[in-house]
Amino acid sequence: MFGMSKIFDKGATAKMTGLSYREKTLYASLAAELVVYGPYFFLHRQNSVNKVAGMIIAIIVLQIILQSVIAVLTRNRVTDERDRLIELRGYRAGYLVLASLMVIGLGMLWFHTSVGHLQLDSRMVGLHFLSAFFGMLVVADITKTATQIVAYRTAL
Amino acid sequence: MPVIRNQIRELRGRREMTQQELADRIGVTRQTVIAIEQDKYSPSLETAFKVAIVLGVPLEQCFQYDPRGKR
Repeated sequence: MFGMSKIFDKGATAKMTGLSYREKTLYASLAAELVVYGPYFFLHRQNSVNKVAGMIIAIIVLQIILQSVIAVLTRNRVTDERDRLIELRGYRAGYLVLASLMVIGLGMLWFHTSVGHLQLDSRMVGLHFLSAFFGMLVVADITKTATQIVAYRTAL
Repeated sequence: MPVIRNQIRELRGRREMTQQELADRIGVTRQTVIAIEQDKYSPSLETAFKVAIVLGVPLEQCFQYDPRGKR
């Protein structure tokens, strides 16, 4: 016999408690992104190709570990149409941010080299571009993940 | 008032069916059933038909369209 509290689980439904498999993976992704990318952008002033490569390897390894742990600990790994819709919304937001940052970044570069007096060291140009584009990708990725997390908690 | 309202919660309660049971039978997550019941998500037509079939009622008894509603 079902208890009425189980059928009309007011507390749980009102707060939408109990994260789905996709939500758990998103929180893990966001945590990994902030832990790995945060120090890169806020603690190190001198970036290098090796550091960028290290970040990419670190995020891949951390993501594999976290996603594996979540997959093992989560019994119900069903994804449905709402998950797919939210995923698309996240990618749209991420793309808009990436495209906007690209336009702003290229515009600033053009302005500083043409109108301003920025003299880029030819040896450092590649590193500047790599660092800037990597940063744009990171911001877009974090936006994508954060948008998805917010979408799970708001009406679609 | 939302554009699409539903009576899933009441119909499910009458059949003593939990959110998880309904979710399993229509192939979605429990969180999606919660979102539908709270009018936070309008399901696809396919899922709406599945809900009606599982609850054993016509589609329009499960879901109602309100043209004056706002999302």
